[in-house]
Amino acid sequence: MTSTAAPETKAPLFGEQEKKAILDPLWDDNPISLQMLGICSALAVTTRLDVSIVMGISVICVMAMANVIISLLRHMIPSKIRIIVQLVVISGAVIIVDQVLRAYAYDLAKQLGVFISLIITNCIVMGRLEAYAMANPPWRSLLDGIGNGLGYAWIICVVGAVREIFGSGKLLGFQVIPDAMYEAGYVNNGLMVLAPGAFILLGVIVWVQRAISGYVEK
Amino acid sequence: MNTNSNSYVMVFAVTMCVTVSSALAFLATSLKSKQEAAAEFDRQKNVMMAAGLIERGDPRMREDLEKLYADRVKQVVVDTIDGVIVDGEADALNEAAAEKDPEQSGRYRSIEQAMTEGGKLDAIILPVSGKGLWSTCYGYLALAGDKNTVKGIQFYKHGETPGLGGEIENATWTAMWKGKKILDDKGELVSVTVKKGKVDQQKPVEKKHFVDGLAGATITSNGVSKFVLSDLKALGTYLQKK
Repeated sequence: MTSTAAPETKAPLFGEQEKKAILDPLWDDNPISLQMLGICSALAVTTRLDVSIVMGISVICVMAMANVIISLLRHMIPSKIRIIVQLVVISGAVIIVDQVLRAYAYDLAKQLGVFISLIITNCIVMGRLEAYAMANPPWRSLLDGIGNGLGYAWIICVVGAVREIFGSGKLLGFQVIPDAMYEAGYVNNGLMVLAPGAFILLGVIVWVQRAISGYVEK
Repeated sequence: MNTNSNSYVMVFAVTMCVTVSSALAFLATSLKSKQEAAAEFDRQKNVMMAAGLIERGDPRMREDLEKLYADRVKQVVVDTIDGVIVDGEADALNEAAAEKDPEQSGRYRSIEQAMTEGGKLDAIILPVSGKGLWSTCYGYLALAGDKNTVKGIQFYKHGETPGLGGEIENATWTAMWKGKKILDDKGELVSVTVKKGKVDQQKPVEKKHFVDGLAGATITSNGVSKFVLSDLKALGTYLQKK
């Protein structure tokens, strides 16, 4: 098993392609807001910011691991069974993350519950393996995995933060809306803790993000 | 090398599976003790939450909470036939057998007692578990020292649908259990029942022995009523003994 990757050629460590691999998915080619992938978990685990952060980190780890492994094996994988091989690698990575969380962050693992296991079915992961890691060297694949993971993570963290602030008046468990507001008649928005709140919010984020990045429907 | 020949595909698939599974097996074994410790700590926290010793999301460090548990909570064994606390080991609980016949679930059951700071009995905490809709739910029901008034209930492990049956964890719902009685006026065991719909506060019986049902989770609610009753029944002699 290999865990670290070295650049295969003498190309610069951070050339044009490497930069593109890590920066594109953050904004110009964001997996959630532009490719519309991974929506299910983005809706499900974003009621609180801390849960979103852990989910984001888990996805980054899984994508980085899976991308590197597939990229290292890319010349050996028989194309007939490549999808199954990708799934085996993803499942392996997800189980590693799940086991580690259960040992070191039991409460959060309980909160996230089945959604960690469901990273296996997150289209972003398999999409990147098939589209990128199967055709690129390990170093660049690692950057691509981290980039896409970050692209996913920052969006769910924004959704998580907004939902936590308006849904329960807190951020990372600390109260941010002052008691004076509640005394003046302010109430937490119950919609925000439910799935429709996430739908609306995600829609708004996609809209804003596409408006700024100048996306045009092809 | 022809990576598409059948023999290559076979060898590749087998190697892949063996490598991945042995790596995972190694990881699972090496993390097992940590995970068990974390699960045990979570169980202790739930016992203390049910007994009202701590609040959910208590900010104290893990060591402090573990110390609190060690200081204030002790495990005792109840002889369910004679209804007294005895020394010795509890019988292993057999869920499957207990489901069919509560009498078969073992004569010696383990329960926990929470003490006040002065060392007086504050609450008794009984494990409750049984089938919800999808899964077996595990929790703790705490009774005050009178063995009648409910102090709290907590579920720490279940596989119910989040948002529906999973709401058995909801703090607002578990708070409704507080103050309910498990014995009726004649001292008979009636347990606390999860009603379908809202409790009618005008009816004294409902006010005393019923809690609101969980919307969209009738089967889980019924399951909770059923297994709480059967677990209380198993300890009936002990609970009714004054």
